Amino acid sequence: MKCKRCSVPAVVALPNHSTGFCAECFLLFFRRQIETGIRRRKLFTFEDRILVALSGGKDSLSLMLELHELGYDVTGLHIDLHIPGSSGPARGKVENFCAAHGLRLEVVELEREGLPMDLVKRHVTRPVCSVCGKVKRHYFNRFALKNGFTVLATGHNLDDEVARLFANTLRWDTAYLSDQGPELPAADGFVRKVKPLWRLTEFETANYAFLKGIEIHSAACPYSSGATFTSHKKLLSELEHTSPGSKFNFYERFLANGREVFAAHERTAGAEVTPCVSCGSPTSTDLCGVCRIREMLIEKSAEEAARDADRESGRDAASDTRYDATRGGNG
Amino acid sequence: MITVHIEPDGETLQFRSLNTVLQLLNKLGLRRMEALIIRDGGLLTPDRRLHGGDAITVRTVISRG
Repeated sequence: MKCKRCSVPAVVALPNHSTGFCAECFLLFFRRQIETGIRRRKLFTFEDRILVALSGGKDSLSLMLELHELGYDVTGLHIDLHIPGSSGPARGKVENFCAAHGLRLEVVELEREGLPMDLVKRHVTRPVCSVCGKVKRHYFNRFALKNGFTVLATGHNLDDEVARLFANTLRWDTAYLSDQGPELPAADGFVRKVKPLWRLTEFETANYAFLKGIEIHSAACPYSSGATFTSHKKLLSELEHTSPGSKFNFYERFLANGREVFAAHERTAGAEVTPCVSCGSPTSTDLCGVCRIREMLIEKSAEEAARDADRESGRDAASDTRYDATRGGNG
Repeated sequence: MITVHIEPDGETLQFRSLNTVLQLLNKLGLRRMEALIIRDGGLLTPDRRLHGGDAITVRTVISRG
């Protein structure tokens, strides 16, 4: 296979574009896809202060590097989830990457916020992935607003967006369908959110990260096994294989023809958003979801501490009894 | 013999005869856009030929959380 632009041997084949590129031309293609995505959806300008959510994976690190090289004002934010065996290596990759490229980085530690994800997993009854996502979104938004960033950028790619659209459509979730897309405007209590990789597949960002020599955190989250999101991606991959380009068409046609219908519905039937009585973040209930989780953890931890104390005093009493019995037997 | 190391799973497989990258992908049940195929630090497209003694890395790309 030859490169479409310069006819040297290709290193990346893209069936979705019926083409292939050499390394140099692929990096140019990648950059142009991001520039087109930013321009078509008016995601941000060179005047914006952009906070980039960095997980340590290929998508977020590729996005950060590309926006930096394009000359945008970017700062990375990593959330240390406190998941044993996973969070340490992920954080290490992010810190090394930012140091190597001279990029600004901030870190929020969930343990310090009273929400370590290992503890959350132990006590929540619903899938931990949805709770983890909620907590991350909360802190990304909160950090951006508190520190004067005008835009929050995430590394969601076309595959992520299509899998999410597919899941939302399976549930006909009008609230989520009303605001899914590469841009979500700022609103009361919410910073503007953008997804500049919306035109690029996971395969394309993986190739970019490889060709740029980015060291990524690729191990799966130990808590994510069996996530429906992954099975939807496999399903959509089969669709893309038999019908190349169908993922992009599904997503782009939704943006053009579908989203506004759901947005109009939500404007009349959607829940009203008010500040959380505890932290001030926007919520449709008195106390936001993250504050409710934090309160639940405090309660559960207190219950555990009380049970431990009971067990301890029971052991002490038994020990005293054995000691008395021993003394009695010997005496 | 062609040695294939699969990332991020860490599994290593050996194949006696494989002619192309596409054959390797088919053996592994992977579609063309589900993995990077790497030999000697470089990327291979599905039409590239494989040879005895090759050490290949297959890096799957679907993120899993």
